[in-house]
Formats: sequence, structure tokens, C-alpha cells
Amino acid sequence: MSKIMTVDILSSIKGAKPSESVNKLFDVIKNANQQNNSNTTVHNKVVSLNDLREDVVVESSAIEKEIIKENFPKEKNGFLVVAKVIED
Amino acid sequence: MESQIYKIHQQLINKEISCTALVQEKLDLLQQNTFNTVNSLLEETAIELAKKVDAKIANGQEIGLLEGIPFGIKDVYMVQGTYTTASSDLLKNYKSAYTATAIQKLLDAGAIPLVKENCDSFGHGSSSENTIFGAVKNAVNPALVGGGSSGGSAVNVAKDYTIFSIGGDTGGSIRQPAGYNKVYGLKPTYGRISRYGLMAYASSTDCVGPIAKSLEDIRIVLNVMSGKDVKDQTTYKSDKIKKDLNTSNIKTVGYFKNFIESKAISNEIKVDFLAIIDKIKAKGIAVKELEFFDSDILVSTYYTLAMAETASNLSRLDGTNYGARIEGDTLKDTYSITRSEKFSEETKRRIVGGNQVLSQGFSDEIYLKAQDVRNQISARFTNDFKEVDIILSPVTPQNPPKIGDSLKDPLAMYLSDAYTVGFSLAELPTLTLPKGTNTGLQLTADKKNDAHVLQFANLLNDIL
Repeated sequence: MSKIMTVDILSSIKGAKPSESVNKLFDVIKNANQQNNSNTTVHNKVVSLNDLREDVVVESSAIEKEIIKENFPKEKNGFLVVAKVIED
Repeated sequence: MESQIYKIHQQLINKEISCTALVQEKLDLLQQNTFNTVNSLLEETAIELAKKVDAKIANGQEIGLLEGIPFGIKDVYMVQGTYTTASSDLLKNYKSAYTATAIQKLLDAGAIPLVKENCDSFGHGSSSENTIFGAVKNAVNPALVGGGSSGGSAVNVAKDYTIFSIGGDTGGSIRQPAGYNKVYGLKPTYGRISRYGLMAYASSTDCVGPIAKSLEDIRIVLNVMSGKDVKDQTTYKSDKIKKDLNTSNIKTVGYFKNFIESKAISNEIKVDFLAIIDKIKAKGIAVKELEFFDSDILVSTYYTLAMAETASNLSRLDGTNYGARIEGDTLKDTYSITRSEKFSEETKRRIVGGNQVLSQGFSDEIYLKAQDVRNQISARFTNDFKEVDIILSPVTPQNPPKIGDSLKDPLAMYLSDAYTVGFSLAELPTLTLPKGTNTGLQLTADKKNDAHVLQFANLLNDIL
């Protein structure tokens, strides 16, 4: 069932190909020594349950709403216009 | 150099200068400058704010230390109503709907934003050449690069166009341009300053930090911007760093022997660095040689993770809700045509690299392995800081390249970050001190020990 996705599809960039310079960096990692020290993971960014922010809806200010609309690439009657959304 | 903030504060309260005249002078300098540091000027609001400060002083009201101090902002920070382009074609006409927490804190303290500053597009670069606004020129020698990615910010400070500037540092983007332009630049401990409103490059190492001409100004601005923010749940509560930078608790300094013995370092930087080590020893401070990871491992680990994160972060930029859009026949076509034509070559290279390492079949041998190496790097630092209080290193192995050279050789540009990326991966507070070698010195302490970095920098200022 799996479909091979090339990097141009994954990146949504037409004709994109892996770069030689970047591949050289990845080769270094492939050849690096691995310690499998999963017990010593030090990058835990766990937020305590007591520390979670309030689950409330914050109304945007009038100026925020105005700027968000101003940033629309294409607008019609105050709505964002997009190309055909539902496909394959 | 003395604190520019204190000096201007005194001049304002003594009525030796008016805030409006000061702000206008800086705006004129920025507008006329030929170093390509400006993406947009915030002229109208700056003058309006300056007039308010003058009115307060005229009425005999007290003003805060940062009130009326003109500053610059790297063009990756949201400031409501201003163009926030990330120096990219895709966001050339994008306006911020809200203001970043760090910038809001400075505005609340009365500092006056003058300029959105040129940088590498989305932070993707080490030379500030990857920009639609023209390569940033070095403040000391305009034939050389300004460094990056916060090049415009460092050059503005160096040329006195801003009193301080706010840069962003993911793998060295504050420290390297600070070194190239001979000013101070601090990457604080990850999480000390909120990232809310900073356009994300690699979220696990992105840091907000100040660039200034004196250590004291770095301290003042750092204290104002620091603190826990519910809008960035990686932030933590920190104490203010006191003015009295007592150095008595710094007993041992370490340096990475392999950095200095590397073939990549210039002889000039090596000799100058070792001379500093001798001066530190002569002050009675113990110096310890440390072993560290090879430069190519550090750079590869950093870029693997940064590319993976940027591929994910920039996937939102598809021309749908904001930014430029080039219409295709279908929605998918619209996405890919927009992204192909509006992202720079360097940004595309990083997005594609990121998707390579995240894709099935590659993530285990590259992405997850890089995460493992990152953990090893952090563990090594934890052990090192049991033995030393500060780690000293050069900022860069070489002097700044000529404008044009970095774009020709991306791999050489990535490798030029060898001395900065390790500290980013380990989330450590790291300062560029513009002394000692031609591109400065890097001082690092253990996590959350930002005060130690400033303390030792103070000591080095006395002996260098």
C-alpha cells in the first residue's frame, strides 16, 4: 500500500533534489559512533500538568483581525479565497 | 566601552539631548547607510514615541532606564503592524498581526524600535547574503560579509545606528556576526527568553538575545526580556542578574584542545587564543584542557536536526493564508509553484535536507542518530561543568569571508559554524566578547548560569 514519496513531493518544491553538500553532512552522522544512551536523554521538555496554560479561547483584537485579513493572498467579500481544496 | 544606555539616559534626564533629535539622527543614519542593514524603518512610530518621552521629561516626570533608547529588531520578530519579511521573497509583504513577547517587554520598558533588520532568509545562513535586501556588509571592512544570520543587527550596533539590537541565535546567528563586527552578542540559556513571536527556524535551539557595545547593556536588555511566558512553554523563571559582577566564584576555565589543534583554524586565531589562555593562567585561574567532539560531528548533528525542524516549521508557508501566492491549476500545484519560486536556494536546500532525514527509511540512520549524538554532547557538557566553571573558545575558526564566497560553497559555510553549534545543541548560555582574537572569544557556562558568563567576561575585560 505504501507509496514512495520523493523529496520534491514531500517538500512541495518542484524539481527539488537532494544536495551533495547536505548529503556529505548526513554521511558523517551515518558513520558516527552511537551509544544508544536512551536512559540519559537530557532534552526532555516536559511541561508539568500544573504548569499548563489555561484552556481558554482568547479573542483577537480588532487590529489583529484586520491585519490577518490584510495578509490574505486573495480575498473576496472578507473571505480567504483558495484553489480547489478537495482533490485525489 | 561604557554603557551606552546609561550614558543616553543621563543625557536625556539632564536635557543635554532631546529624544526626538536622537531618534531622528539614528533614523537618518539608518536610511542613508550603505551596509544593507535595513529591511524597513519604523519612522512614524519611533518619532511619535520619542515625542512622548520628551514630553514626560519636560513635565518633570521620571523616565525608566530604557525609556527613549533606540533599538533594532532582526526581521524575524513579530511587531504588530510592521512588515516582517524574514528577508524572504515569500513574506515580502507580510505584516505582523501581534508582537513577540521579548519585544513587547522592551516596548513596555519604553525602548523605541527604529528598524527591522536584514538577516539571512528565515535564519538560513552564516553570512547575511541569503536575503532579498542585498548582502549585509561588514562594519569593519565592507568587502567582507556582515556574518549571519543576524548580520544587519550586529552591523547596526557596530556602526552606532542602534544602541542595541535584538538578534536570534539558532546555531551561532548572534555570536558569529557579533564576532565579525566586534560587538558583544549573547545567546542566553535556551528558555530564558520567550520565543513567542520569533519566526521559528529550529525550535529546539532557537534563542532570542541582545547585541550591544558594552557588557552592561547586554545585562540590562537580557534582564528586561527574560522570564517565564505561558505562550512559550519551554521558558523558565529566572532571577535578574545583578550589576555587581563578582568574579570570585570562577576558579577553573576549560577549553577544547581539539578546537585549537584543528587543521581548520587559522594560525592567527590559534596564536591569539593561546595567548589569552596564558594571561588567564597568569591571573591565578586554573585552566584545564578538555576533549570534545570533532567539528564535523558537531556541524552534521546540528544541521541534521535544524534542517528537520525547519522543514517542519516552514511547511506552513504555502501561500494559502498569508505570504505570496502563485496560482496553479490545483491546490497542490499552487503550493509547489509558490514554494519553488518564492523560497531562496539555501532555504530550499535545507527544507529538502530536512524532509530527507525525516522520511521513512532514513530517519533511523540519520535523524534519530543525530538526536542520540546530541544527547551525548549534552552529557559531555554536564560532566565538563563538574570540573570547570567556564569554557572558553574562539567564535570562528577563520576570519570573515569575502562577500560572494559563502554562496559558492554551502558546505564550507556550514563548517564555519563548527565552534558555535555545539553550545546551541546543549542549550548553554554563550557570549561573544569582542576581544582576544580577530573574531572575538566565546564564553560558555552551564545551563541557567548566564550570570557566570557575564561575570567572567567582566574579568576578561580587565585583563585583555
